[in-house]
Amino acid sequence: MNTLIHSGWRAACLALCLVAAPVLAEEAAPPAVQKGASAPQEVVAKTGSSTADHGKFEELQREFASGPEVTAACLECHTEAAKQIHSTKHWTWEYQNPVTGQKLGKKNVINNFCTAVSSNQGFCSACHIGYGWKDDSFDFAAEDAVDCLVCHDTTGKYKKIPGLAGHPTYKVMEWPPKSGKFIDPPDLQKVAQNVGPTSRRSCGTCHFYGGGGNAVKHGDLDSSLNQPMRYLDVHMDAKGPNLTCSTCHVSDAHEVSGSRYNVTAADTEGARLPGQRKPGSAPTCRGCHGDAPHPTDAKLNDHTDKLACQTCHIPEFARGPLHTKMSWDWSTAGRLDENGQRIKVKNSAGRVIYDSNKGDFTYDRYAIPDYLWFNGNIEYTLFGDPVDADEVLEINRFLGGPDDSGSRIWPVKTFTGKQPIDAGLGTLAVAHTAGKDDAAYWGNYDWEKSLTVGMASVGAEYSGELGFVSTTMRWPITHMVAPKDDALRCKDCHRDHGRLAGLDGIYMPGRDRSVLLDTGGGLLALLALAGVLVHGGGRIVAHRLRRK
Amino acid sequence: MIKLLSGMVLGIVLTGVLAWTQAGAMMFNEYESPFDVEETAARIQANMQALESNGWKLSGIRDPGRAVAASGGNVLPVLLVEACSTDYSKPLLKDDETRILSILMPCTVTVYKKQDGKTYIGTMNAGLMGQLFGPKVAGIMSKVAADQAKFVTFDPKKPAPPLIKVKPGGGGAGGNDIGGC
Repeated sequence: MNTLIHSGWRAACLALCLVAAPVLAEEAAPPAVQKGASAPQEVVAKTGSSTADHGKFEELQREFASGPEVTAACLECHTEAAKQIHSTKHWTWEYQNPVTGQKLGKKNVINNFCTAVSSNQGFCSACHIGYGWKDDSFDFAAEDAVDCLVCHDTTGKYKKIPGLAGHPTYKVMEWPPKSGKFIDPPDLQKVAQNVGPTSRRSCGTCHFYGGGGNAVKHGDLDSSLNQPMRYLDVHMDAKGPNLTCSTCHVSDAHEVSGSRYNVTAADTEGARLPGQRKPGSAPTCRGCHGDAPHPTDAKLNDHTDKLACQTCHIPEFARGPLHTKMSWDWSTAGRLDENGQRIKVKNSAGRVIYDSNKGDFTYDRYAIPDYLWFNGNIEYTLFGDPVDADEVLEINRFLGGPDDSGSRIWPVKTFTGKQPIDAGLGTLAVAHTAGKDDAAYWGNYDWEKSLTVGMASVGAEYSGELGFVSTTMRWPITHMVAPKDDALRCKDCHRDHGRLAGLDGIYMPGRDRSVLLDTGGGLLALLALAGVLVHGGGRIVAHRLRRK
Repeated sequence: MIKLLSGMVLGIVLTGVLAWTQAGAMMFNEYESPFDVEETAARIQANMQALESNGWKLSGIRDPGRAVAASGGNVLPVLLVEACSTDYSKPLLKDDETRILSILMPCTVTVYKKQDGKTYIGTMNAGLMGQLFGPKVAGIMSKVAADQAKFVTFDPKKPAPPLIKVKPGGGGAGGNDIGGC
């Protein structure tokens, strides 16, 4: 027995580690989303420091039949709010890049997720800060078309449903279609009486669900940030600092600072807190953490002229329980089952990897970012720009380089796709996907009809030649900041095949080699060794000679 | 004579150093998986279930990363897939001399992601470990090793099975409020 134990003790100890650690781990296993965290912001808002209780407002003491009716009531006191909203990107879905001159914004960009807004407004406008945008006839000057509740609801009961042109449902409806699940219309009076400041949840209503679902688009924004734990984001930790989106993304006259269309890649303003920065200036790490954020390690501070803080402090994205979508292949869409019905296939984690409506998807969790030089400007491939179907097309290109003092190395999510093009015109195609009409691809699976309507919506005539092009689209990673203990270490980059292996333009010790330097150093070491041996040998010989 | 003894001592020392540095790696096998962590774990579960004729039953799946997250930290995804076969556990549990090997139960296959973004599978080198404990254990563990090899052999043509969330401690063969094996 003793022999058995002694001969195998090491193996048993190793096995014990294997078995015991997970047991302990499981006992302490937390829920994916924090429970028992500090009170939701909406509750704080209702009972906290606000000087107004909207539940006591006379204008809100009545039934509301629609969202615009609520807005009209809001505007009786907040007389300038709608006008302010009208000038924001949240309303116009447009952005003119002052550097590249490109006209961007959701209205103009074709991405490699759901592709284009045009001809699909009735569906996409579930994330528009307005009511009624279903086609080009929408009145962008209408004040009561502004949706106050989508941002200021604190009840969590107000939801805009895709396909209703930005409205919530006003009657019981099945959603998603054919799911057997039904949703009730929101109690608009109750929602209106409980408005308050924006919260992670209210911003996340759209920003966590971009690209067609939870965690799909950004990679660093998903519903796990509603009540995040420390590991997921040190700033938004619901039991810690509990920062909300608006803590950093401060707004002025409803214009929210910070946008992926206008990124501050290298902060030149220095330590200026959100709210103290130039108007419209995006929030930055440096704004709060200053110019020397590592008080005990000056070497780390030396890196800030080359690296964005996010590069080290967001080592992976999609670190919550949800997988983020990493690719989307439209070319396989339209496959139906033997009964001609829509197919949905799920992966082992329960996420849809094939949908007849959309094609094939892949996902990742704790995804390792790509890294590139970035000076804050992004150039897009827009409708009408030439497309070569045999080349991988960059939907967007992050500008900057190692010789540009305004550039930093940034982490990005690279989303790959394969999406329709008009091969005859040689341009990205605008597909009409959503709607109950005969041309909508989702349900009819006819690219010819879909592209004819979609292209017409942007003033083009579909050539009839369908093609597909492989694409990439990149997204800056800036949320889900990890605890400092989990930041990248020196060896993560300063080695062969490290995180920055593919990044040109800088000499990185540990990654890069100089034959001259390495050879010279090696020779010096050899000479030193030879010197020691010769000297030592000489001493020994001399000692023996003296003894003789 | 001194030279002979010196040579022997040197040989023993070198062998010891070699064993110390290499033994750990020899105790485990690591394979790269073509699938992500969840799908790899799910396929291993399916393979385990396919070997029910050898007594295998799933007894749990664990995510030790969740405990790290609860303490405020991050680790790359890892899942521990557990199964047990009474065909192999019973003879070991029956005999006082080998009951201590219950510490190796249930059989665990670990699936994890590394910094290169790839998924890996880790198994105990059951064949080698069994040889450390005499012929009876070696015989049983060699069969475990053969089954382990089947656990990690995948048919990519088969669709991804769903991950089976067997509750650790409460499931497994014969399990109730306390897990069986």
